[in-house]
Amino acid sequence: MYTQKIYKLLFFSVLLFSGTAFSQTETVRGIVLEKKANGKTEPVIGATLRWENAKKGTSTDTKGEFSLSKSSPNHELIVSSVGFKTDTLMVHSLDFVTIYLTVQNADLQEVVVKSEATSIDKMNPIHTEIITTKALAKAACCNLSESFETNASVSVSYSDAITGSKQIQLLGLSGNYIQTNVENIPSIRGLNTVFGLNYLPGTWLSSIDVAKGAGSVMSGYESMTGALNVELAKPDMAEKLYLNTYGNSQGRGEVNLNLAHKINKKWSVGFLTHASTLQTKLDQNDDGFLDLPLYTQFNGINRWKYQSDKLMAQFGVKALYEDRTGGQVNFNPDIDRNSGRFYGFGSKTQRYEFFSKTAKLYQSKPYQGLGLIINGLVHDNASYFGFKNYTGTQKSLYSNLIYQNILGNTNHQYKAGLSYLLDDYNERYLDSTFRRTESVPGTFLEYTETIPNKLTLVIGGRVDFHNLYGTRFTPRFHAKYEVSPNTQLRLSAGKGWRMPNAIAENFGMLVNSRQLKLVGDAIRPEESWNFGVSLSHDFYLFDKKGMLILDAYRTDFQNQLIVDMESAEFVRLYNLQGRSFSNSFQVEVNYSPAKRMDIKLAYRVFDVRNDAVTPSGELTLLPKQFVNRDRFLFNWGYATKFDKWKFDLTWQWNGRRRIPDFSDGHVHSALSPTIFAPAFSNINAQVTKAFYKWDIYVGGENLNNFTQKDPIIAANDPFGKNFDASMVWGPVIGRMVYVGMRYKIK
Amino acid sequence: MLFISVIAFADKPKTETVKIKTSAICEQCKEIIEKKLTFTKGVVDVDVDLDSKDKITTVIFNPKKTSVEKIKKAITAVGYDADELVADPAGYEQLPGCCKKGGVRE
Repeated sequence: MYTQKIYKLLFFSVLLFSGTAFSQTETVRGIVLEKKANGKTEPVIGATLRWENAKKGTSTDTKGEFSLSKSSPNHELIVSSVGFKTDTLMVHSLDFVTIYLTVQNADLQEVVVKSEATSIDKMNPIHTEIITTKALAKAACCNLSESFETNASVSVSYSDAITGSKQIQLLGLSGNYIQTNVENIPSIRGLNTVFGLNYLPGTWLSSIDVAKGAGSVMSGYESMTGALNVELAKPDMAEKLYLNTYGNSQGRGEVNLNLAHKINKKWSVGFLTHASTLQTKLDQNDDGFLDLPLYTQFNGINRWKYQSDKLMAQFGVKALYEDRTGGQVNFNPDIDRNSGRFYGFGSKTQRYEFFSKTAKLYQSKPYQGLGLIINGLVHDNASYFGFKNYTGTQKSLYSNLIYQNILGNTNHQYKAGLSYLLDDYNERYLDSTFRRTESVPGTFLEYTETIPNKLTLVIGGRVDFHNLYGTRFTPRFHAKYEVSPNTQLRLSAGKGWRMPNAIAENFGMLVNSRQLKLVGDAIRPEESWNFGVSLSHDFYLFDKKGMLILDAYRTDFQNQLIVDMESAEFVRLYNLQGRSFSNSFQVEVNYSPAKRMDIKLAYRVFDVRNDAVTPSGELTLLPKQFVNRDRFLFNWGYATKFDKWKFDLTWQWNGRRRIPDFSDGHVHSALSPTIFAPAFSNINAQVTKAFYKWDIYVGGENLNNFTQKDPIIAANDPFGKNFDASMVWGPVIGRMVYVGMRYKIK
Repeated sequence: MLFISVIAFADKPKTETVKIKTSAICEQCKEIIEKKLTFTKGVVDVDVDLDSKDKITTVIFNPKKTSVEKIKKAITAVGYDADELVADPAGYEQLPGCCKKGGVRE
């Protein structure tokens, strides 16, 4: 009580003086406070304050007070502190400022991101790139798989020439090794791995976090090369109505409608809906096969949210239906299926989900929190690839209980929790049935030590008790060191593991005449260590702001499911024998040469290799198939005031990549020559014209019209032994033009 | 002939400038008014000066496409007084709390 009185006295005396004494110097003084539920306030110690566009900042003292020199063009003051939401406020005069920070429970509550199109999360000890709605609007089409166009770290490619599924890649490894969460709920995994990216429409997304390297232990053990967390539009924050329509030159049409309604101060409800279809038969390369499958998708989420001072609760349901038909142009699924007349592909997916997120908030102890996530789903898929029939059902239950608190003060924080994962798989391929029930209770602990403005250390570990694969320990370590206010160095190391679904994750390997063959022991969980270092540096060039990011990562597999296509007649699946690793190095420069103009230039290089087992049993270390060693990315964006006009241009150059030798009867040996697919470029551009309440946009993809010649091998004989539609390394379809509109009521 | 027409084309359309008193309070008000006028037909540039006593809004516009009257109406439509015109009640109702009269600029 006594100290509080003194502090109050100080506060008022500073307040009194501020108007007179301090206004003579060009210094802003103020105090940073945290408001408690009981109406009392407490100073925030060690909060950092910095002017937007300024190199240097300051931090609050033990009373929460600060002083910061102000030059006239600086108005935007950025205030941040660990455990609190970063706040930006406008300061125009030299009056004493009182700033109230709100507590952030990043894992239990949403983080509002207001920044440039793509940026590095400066507070996060894990190297995390944030893709905002602004960046998502740059690539208008259409869903999560297409949202990484302007991101240097994640690249996207078609997995084959028939199914239309897309693969993302991070650190040289496929999306399987990225833990993809939707609002902290593991989502794109299991049977959803292949098409899951297509099931998140772009207009639903509010931001994407791309964390490179080992992730936090909190959301599980499956992050091996990185973690994506996708945030969706929130019922209490989003526009009341957001309508988007889209059409493109390939015949794809889309409607997205989001609704949000605040029922009262505490309750809100939101709907996210999507319908899209492609019914135009497209065969640009005249190989008799559809370049893209025909499809229809209906997709929706209904979410309710309750927010009071003490409790935050959200619950909702998701439903999805998708039907795809592809293969030969003349294929009619009603007549020709299993007939051998025409080659056909079909895939029907239904998915239903329930989710709830509850967080108990302690207003008097904002650093404390208790949250519970529950998610249940049924995923059902029935597919055929010519004569190869597949059905799969996944039933999953996921729950995660997180408790967070501090030891003494907010410089020593911890999170602890319990999780439970139940996966029940029932798959049938040809005449074999695969059943697997995984039941995995787990527990985790993560400790964060902060030395304000200097160092953040995160040490985490989790223990999971897998019913089939035993007790497993997953340690993770992260450090962020502030070399200077403009330079951050991050280190990370961590283990990850996951159980692969050999068939469901490799649909692209089924659209051929190869025989799927399991070699050796039963498939075991994949396991890897990831090590990384990254450096981000803010710089000023000709008085304009820029950022340089350098990073290097290595992933080392202890076990991996190797999908071996080195023998032309087989797809051989086996547990790793010998080595498998991926090295990745990336350099990225972001620069704003003029107001509202952004330029990004990035280069990355991969070295991804694994030991393949030849049929005679020797090991040969081969560069990973379909992975290009080099990639350049250039992005230019410009907007006029209030985004009345927006222009965006992206150019990508992908270097050559190794492809399997598919010549008749080929069996790879250590002496076989290496075959490469050529390098190619890809240019995308978009123009947006905004009106007061709505936008229209016109854009083009693959404007340079590069396509892979003959993406399907032996397309004229789809039931013959050389037929192969899995050898896709480049765009199958040429130039595409689209037009769309967005209408928003706030 | 061609040469002359090019010069004629390069000649910018004649614009006028008007200064309007508004009831803006804070940075958010500035953004609301500037955004509204940026998307108003005929307006070339707009700036709300929060440091001036009467929160003077300076608007550069093309008199062939719009008028001072129309510009003032656009300001009142989003909930602010513009000179002698009073804020439209429907627009005012939608303003964030800090932008309503009696709100405090932070």
